[in-house]
Amino acid sequence: VAVKPLPLTTSANPQAKAFRWDKLAPYIFISPFFIIFAIFGVFPIIYSGYISLHEWTGLNPPMFIGLRNYENLLRDNDFLIALRNTVLLLLISGPLTIGGGLLLAVILNSKLVRFRNAFRTIFYLPLVVSLVVASQVFNLLLGNPFGLVNEMLARLGFERINFLNEPAMTLVVLSVLILWKYVGNDLVIMLAGLQAIPPELGEAAMVDGANPRQVFWYITLPLMRPVILFDIVLSTINTFNMFAEPYNLFGTTGGVNQSGLVTGLLLYRTSFTLFKFGYGSAIAYLVGIIVFVLSLIQLRLGTRDHER
Amino acid sequence: MAARVETSRPVADQRSQRLLMIVVYGILGFAAFLSLIPLYWMVMSSFKPLNEILTIPVLLVPQNPTFENYRLLIEETEFERSMFNSIAVAFINVVVQVFLCSLAGFAFAKYRFRGRNLLFTLVLGTVMIPVSVQLVPNYIIMGRLGWLDTWLPLIIPTAANAFGVFWMRQYMFSLPDELLDAARLDGCNEFGLFWRIVLPLARPGIGALALFIFTTSWNEFLLPLVYLRSQEVYTVQLMIASIFRTRFQQNFHLLMSASVLAIIPMTVLFVALQRQFIAGLTLGSLRE
Repeated sequence: VAVKPLPLTTSANPQAKAFRWDKLAPYIFISPFFIIFAIFGVFPIIYSGYISLHEWTGLNPPMFIGLRNYENLLRDNDFLIALRNTVLLLLISGPLTIGGGLLLAVILNSKLVRFRNAFRTIFYLPLVVSLVVASQVFNLLLGNPFGLVNEMLARLGFERINFLNEPAMTLVVLSVLILWKYVGNDLVIMLAGLQAIPPELGEAAMVDGANPRQVFWYITLPLMRPVILFDIVLSTINTFNMFAEPYNLFGTTGGVNQSGLVTGLLLYRTSFTLFKFGYGSAIAYLVGIIVFVLSLIQLRLGTRDHER
Repeated sequence: MAARVETSRPVADQRSQRLLMIVVYGILGFAAFLSLIPLYWMVMSSFKPLNEILTIPVLLVPQNPTFENYRLLIEETEFERSMFNSIAVAFINVVVQVFLCSLAGFAFAKYRFRGRNLLFTLVLGTVMIPVSVQLVPNYIIMGRLGWLDTWLPLIIPTAANAFGVFWMRQYMFSLPDELLDAARLDGCNEFGLFWRIVLPLARPGIGALALFIFTTSWNEFLLPLVYLRSQEVYTVQLMIASIFRTRFQQNFHLLMSASVLAIIPMTVLFVALQRQFIAGLTLGSLRE
């Protein structure tokens, strides 16, 4: 069989072609991601700022009004209520969930405790339950006189109440729902943090006469500070984004006296039931800025001077 | 003095140790009880006729357990169609996102190219920006594209999953460069490297990512609520939250059986693949 000689032009410099292809390949590989990322990820962030400077309601053409949406927001009672509720919710549910996650993690990190895997599985289980389903179940448990919680209270001699119609209980119900659904999430984060601490530290302190409580306060907790801080920042972001729980429990009104109105719910109501796109975008931007500033403050306060 | 301390300490230790263990198991038991109660109640209620759900005193187990709620759900409503829709959307999301994220992650991990660090910082920078900021503009864009009331808004924007790129990049750092160079010498082209060598080796990382994407997609509520109008395209979460909530009065029996059906796929996956799930969780610490 006669072998056809390769054309000289390609065989003369085979490296050149492979070399160029090699240079181009990474750009081709990232381009499908980046095209979508640019159109639906980055551009909307800028576009949202643009929309927020307009009065833009449903079908009407947008009208430029400068910063008036933001000025109105600062005087808008609904916005201030939503902001207050969200901060209160964060103050109640944050310590509960983070503290609970840390407590369970410290316990489940100990080799002395048995059935650790079984307990972990149980605490992770609510994580796969959707927020919609979780809200329906909590509605059944708390939102009528036939609920299980009312039954227990009634046996103890209390009156049966609809927890979802009590303005004072609204944020508590939401906090309990958050605690139930997400304590496993904080547990995962905390366990990962604890497992990074060398056990010899605690053992050495025990040999020197420290008791478990001292080991926790003086060794574990200081070493866990960055992890806890990370968790606090995450909780802040998540609480300001919260939507499905209050929507499914209280609807777009936010319940009696808007006691369950949080920023995520107000954003949805403004943008997609009233179709005020400009005003909605202003809410999204302002809340985004508030969350950003809060996170910075948290990181600042939580980081010691020598670490900066 | 010193001798007394040495002999008495172990005894005191033993006693406080036992007390500590009682407290520890008390906490664990109570927390496990609280974790399981809503699930227990959901399952039990799904087997009760409506009148047994709305009764005082409440029944801890159904008096006349029945599959009637499930029969109603399947025969009288479009519920199973929404289940199928959710499976389809989640499956497409997994395939598209896994492919885009591992391709981009591979480029970021294994190539040096101009603008790499800048582009990667851009990807990471947007991770912290809440979805809500993009929601209104994306809704307007979808309207212009004529994509409202289709699954495209649930698939295309989320395809740019910054978490996923970060995750796959971390995973692919650990793949040996020598292996890639050897394959190049054997005449494998760059995409062949990705397709035939990198993807199979990155399977555990991909598994965790796929599971995370599937869960997120299955449980997603805000996007279907905003974009979908016709019941034929509804996802399961939207079906539960809107149709059942409003169409039937006092419908806890249907809501609970629908809820049970809606969590079955996730629970099965969770029990079967718990390790990958936990790996995905650490990546998905941002809530839905």
